[in-house]
Amino acid sequence: MRTVFQTIGEYYNLMMRVFRKPEKWKIFWKQFWFESDKLIIGSIPIVSIISVFIGAVIVLQSANNMESPFIPKMYVGVMARESLVLEFCSTMVALILAGKIGSNISSEIGSMRITEQIDAMEIMGVNSANYLILPKVASSTIFSPFLMLLSFVLGLIGGAGIISFTGIITIAQYTDGLQFAFKAWYIYYSMVKMAVFCFIITSICSYYGYYAKGGSLGVGRSSTKAIVVSSTLILIFDLLITKLFL
Amino acid sequence: MIEVKHLFKEFNERQVLDDINIRFEPGKCSLIIGASGSGKTVLLKSLVGLYEPEKGEIWYDQNEFTCMDARQKKNFHKEMGMLFQESALFDFDTVEENVMFPMDFFTDWTYGQKLERANFCLNRVNLTGSNKLYPTQLSGGMQKRVGIARAIALNPKYLFCDEPNSGLDPTTAIVIDRLIQEITREYKITTVVNTHDMNSVMEIGDHIGFIHQGKMLWQGNSKDIMDSECNELNDFVFANNLARQLKANMSK
Repeated sequence: MRTVFQTIGEYYNLMMRVFRKPEKWKIFWKQFWFESDKLIIGSIPIVSIISVFIGAVIVLQSANNMESPFIPKMYVGVMARESLVLEFCSTMVALILAGKIGSNISSEIGSMRITEQIDAMEIMGVNSANYLILPKVASSTIFSPFLMLLSFVLGLIGGAGIISFTGIITIAQYTDGLQFAFKAWYIYYSMVKMAVFCFIITSICSYYGYYAKGGSLGVGRSSTKAIVVSSTLILIFDLLITKLFL
Repeated sequence: MIEVKHLFKEFNERQVLDDINIRFEPGKCSLIIGASGSGKTVLLKSLVGLYEPEKGEIWYDQNEFTCMDARQKKNFHKEMGMLFQESALFDFDTVEENVMFPMDFFTDWTYGQKLERANFCLNRVNLTGSNKLYPTQLSGGMQKRVGIARAIALNPKYLFCDEPNSGLDPTTAIVIDRLIQEITREYKITTVVNTHDMNSVMEIGDHIGFIHQGKMLWQGNSKDIMDSECNELNDFVFANNLARQLKANMSK
């Protein structure tokens, strides 16, 4: 129990150092765009591939499970849309990102810690937490909702692709379903969820990297811990946000 | 000048520094020697503020470092330069960017001015023309020299070197030692070097402090060390056959 409180306290103290005014805005913006490119643009390929395939699988499974002639086929489109926007494009993509960018962040910062690069910054008088972590947290929190939108669009395209390939339902039924009882609010809700999840991933993984110790084994351990903790928190916050907003 | 008075530091109830008193003069290379685990690095890291001592005072000229708050310490760090054991160069930056890093943060110089200063520092450590290389493309000795160039980029008043010769061959080690000594004398820097390399001790040791199990057991210069009557120091200095034979020959 002591470890849990100690971890929360350390995380809070670190965040207090992270959310300070940057020493120089010019340096911050340079890092911000660099991290945006690395964390968000660099995640587009994996998010795209997974979204297209999951979209296709959801459509296939929905169509195969709707055998009753009393249920209109357009409901395949409704189910695909709702599954993608409500859970897949935010929660599942966030879990995938926790593995991809989370391990990248914690191992990068952890390696800097054990090779004394962070100490070198501190001795120069640089707020290393602010310099290293703030651009990562800011860029991923701001731009990740667009990644969710991309995932949603590509998931729907994946669904359309499998329909054209297999002819399981018609494209017209699918598009009717996509438009049926559409709530734009769900998109905003999902974008907010994604921003919260990406804040969790970047800040938690940075924390575990920043306090890594014990050589390369320690960096590996902290990366694993970072991904486990951030994935668990994503699921907890998914539940909380869903209960709050819906 | 740096003065350490009655410094104590412990980790998990283990006393790592036990009543350390020592003074480091400007323009001189002060060496802290001792076996691995004796507390040298802890002392150095306490001096630069990476560790908080439990008790004691650290004075930088007229400023008591141990009494400063975080903001004051941060500002004071601009007066310090440090060379780390593994050089601690930023992997993602080129040599030039590494040297310009402190300038980016703490000066309003134009890129041209920063580049001029970086070139001057690189030239000073004999690394002219290596600006665009990455740390992974450099040898251990070159990395140390880049570390020194970065440490002196903002003309520090205090320079700290943590085992600057570790992992280097004897010839390169002497080059690094002499470089540290030259820079110290040229810019009248107060330099503190952590080492257990006896070549360094004889080469650049203007003032030497010997730490054993967290205690400062002996202080003197490189000449005094040969005649010391401190048993722990003699065990450390004359640990190998060559050193013992040398001492025997000298005493004859």
